[in-house]
Amino acid sequence: MPPAVKEKNKKAAALPAKAPTPRKSKFQADLAPSEDSMVRVLKAELQMSSNTDFLSDALALFRWAVSERKRGHRIVSESSTGERKILIFPRLERVAPEVTLPHVDIRWTDKELGSLAELATGQPADPTAALIRAMRR
Amino acid sequence: MSVTIRRLEESDEVENFDCGDEPLNNYLKRHAWTNQQKISIGVTHIAVDESAPRSVLGYFTLATSSVPRDRLPKKYVRGLPPYDLPLILLARLAVDKRFSGRGLGHALLSEALQITLRVADEVGCRCIITDAYPDKAGWYARYGFVPLEGPATTSPQKMFLDVRTIRRATSFESSPAERE
Repeated sequence: MPPAVKEKNKKAAALPAKAPTPRKSKFQADLAPSEDSMVRVLKAELQMSSNTDFLSDALALFRWAVSERKRGHRIVSESSTGERKILIFPRLERVAPEVTLPHVDIRWTDKELGSLAELATGQPADPTAALIRAMRR
Repeated sequence: MSVTIRRLEESDEVENFDCGDEPLNNYLKRHAWTNQQKISIGVTHIAVDESAPRSVLGYFTLATSSVPRDRLPKKYVRGLPPYDLPLILLARLAVDKRFSGRGLGHALLSEALQITLRVADEVGCRCIITDAYPDKAGWYARYGFVPLEGPATTSPQKMFLDVRTIRRATSFESSPAERE
């Protein structure tokens, strides 16, 4: 084998195997007419022609919002006059670390349940003076 | 000061509210509106003064809950109907510290109990439960809330008030102390 060819083969062997191009995923969504219209208007405003670019930008923005809320940061818009509005988006609130919802699913200990059952099945207590005052209209 | 108690609205000013307890401040500022209007799991009522009708002086949040019948001790279950035990949860109650000592807590709790009675009359519920801070348990006890046996004195104390007791309170013209 001529030395030049041998050298070329050596180089080829040293190169890492070419990574396969990742397959692009198709994304299809059923949009209500109003949502479809919203997408068109937004694309026009943002001077975007492709749905791919639109989705890519929307995804980047959403990803950023999620990461901010995950860190406990609030997302605020501020007008030129200083008026501030805080974005409240229920799905984003799910990732916020300090979510404190009312304890609709109350955690009960066995002792508390025993105590509750005893009170609920017993005779009701007489109202206190403060309760009577509270119930007056 | 002429105080009105009404449901929280989106345009109410909550940012300056300060009851001295960060979780209670935080709940009003960040979660009360969402939980009420968007997720519909708890309703917040606020106290406002006529002179500043958007500025929150105090608030409470009510939610509904129930205890599955099969979780209750068997020896009591026979005394209960064959359904889960429905109850009202007084999930939050707080007064801005700048307005404490003016009877706002009493007014807020009074409204919460009036609502509880209406819910009991219209829908049905057996009791109202609250998670009281240990230093506030005495205040709730004055209204007849009874502490449920709990695990620790440092964590919030679950307290119980029977709807039948609340209903009975409405039949008194004057309080026992006033009659004496």
